[in-house]
Amino acid sequence: MTDETISHRDRCAIVGIGATDFSRDSGRSDLTLAAQASLAAIEDAGLVPADIDGIVRCDMDLVRSNDLVHTLGLPGLSYFCEAGPGGVAPCAMVGLAVGAILSGQASHVLVFRSLNGRSGRRYGLSPVAQARVGGGGTYDEFFLPYGLLTAGQEFALIAQRHMIEYGTTAEDLGAIALACRARANANPRAQMRDRTLTMEDYLAARTISRPLRLFDFCLETDGACAVVVTTAERARDLPRRPALIRAVAQGSPPSPQPGIMFPVLLRESITTLPGKPTAATLYRRAGLGPEDVDVAQLYDCFTITVLTQLEDYGFCAKGEGGPFASSGSLELGGRLPINTGGGHLSEGYIHGMNHIVEGVRQIRGESSSQVPGAEVCLVTSTALPPGSALILRAA
Amino acid sequence: MTGEAPRILPVEDDPDSAGFFEAARRGELVVRTCAACGAHLHLPVAYCHRCRSFDTRWTAMSGRGRLYSWTVVDHQVHPAYPVPYTVVLVELDDAPGVRLVGSLPGVPELVAGQPMHVRFDTMEEGVVLPQWEPAGTPG
Repeated sequence: MTDETISHRDRCAIVGIGATDFSRDSGRSDLTLAAQASLAAIEDAGLVPADIDGIVRCDMDLVRSNDLVHTLGLPGLSYFCEAGPGGVAPCAMVGLAVGAILSGQASHVLVFRSLNGRSGRRYGLSPVAQARVGGGGTYDEFFLPYGLLTAGQEFALIAQRHMIEYGTTAEDLGAIALACRARANANPRAQMRDRTLTMEDYLAARTISRPLRLFDFCLETDGACAVVVTTAERARDLPRRPALIRAVAQGSPPSPQPGIMFPVLLRESITTLPGKPTAATLYRRAGLGPEDVDVAQLYDCFTITVLTQLEDYGFCAKGEGGPFASSGSLELGGRLPINTGGGHLSEGYIHGMNHIVEGVRQIRGESSSQVPGAEVCLVTSTALPPGSALILRAA
Repeated sequence: MTGEAPRILPVEDDPDSAGFFEAARRGELVVRTCAACGAHLHLPVAYCHRCRSFDTRWTAMSGRGRLYSWTVVDHQVHPAYPVPYTVVLVELDDAPGVRLVGSLPGVPELVAGQPMHVRFDTMEEGVVLPQWEPAGTPG
């Protein structure tokens, strides 16, 4: 049992955000990207690099904390840690920063994610180079030899099952792709800023792994994002409007399955993802519910991931994610505008981290698709394995 | 389903999963099972958390199941797996909740819940993979 009499509610804030450009070929190292995003976040916070005494990284990042200490010329760290796996990390990384700060282990914590996800190591390609796969607790031997090789193929099995159980349609998934694309069209930083998308375009696109089409997939991207976390009290002395961290949570389903990716297919339900247990903890800690959320940045490695999270986070009943998405709810002016920078589907895939940056922009009132009066923003990092999420709130 | 490159082979010497592939070489489909309570422990682990017991063993299955989900792969990512092919996810009749993956060439007509049966596919180096196809398909 966790002791929630010691609450972190609203006691820390994100005071600085930074991002590089998002591209298909950055021409820079992961480390350079990390340094650029980090310096931007530190400057945005009104701090100098020497103020940073903690760093949290993602387990799949190629950049280590000491690499960044070396490159930025930091005097030293009193705290360094990592979260994962992969896309599960971003909100959990902020949670680690909060824990470090509230327990006195650090005062200004830098949280970053950097990857040459398009020109370097591409997660969408088959990972297999060796002759034999699996073992060592990966359980890959039960999946990869059959040609089940990528996350997209796995999410296609999940989408197909959602269609079988609930009658979800291609147009439902398309509504998610279109909402993200329309927000990207307004975002000068988004890779798809100049490329409009209609439902006809969506449906006519080639299938990658049925029922998923080209535009159900996120954009493998080169880029980096970073944020600076400190106490809410300290935030009052800093120049930018703080985004209070109302609550942060991690969650895993009751039958999580071993390994990292494909064993999820053995879960009791493959259409209920770790968002559901994460949401329960998050809302309890926040003292808020889905009805209080003004805008959401939902982890969107694929459209189907958004659809299941609409259900998992309580915006609609189980099985009704499709009709909810198709009803216009996700658009500006709808019940739940999502991914207001374009998300992974149309801004860039910084593995969940650009969602936190965009969430802060909403709380500051600075988004390129600003939701008027947005005071509560949900950000999720819940794909397949366990998940994490947080709620940002205006001070 | 054979492309130009050698297909991906499973390890056959992992302590937790080797028995599955050993059985497949004998033409048998097995699932790790708790000796005390009969719980099916798939993906295979050596410990039953219901009984708090390490007394587990491989148990033969009938080789019948139902189609739980599938995807037709149209975008090729590995040279040994030419598209289109169809990845199937099959839930075992004898072990509800236990699902195994298979693959079928091309784009077969499939219906959720349809009966499937196992067949054994001999790969490179004598490795045998349990595979799945619609029940009634001539083996």
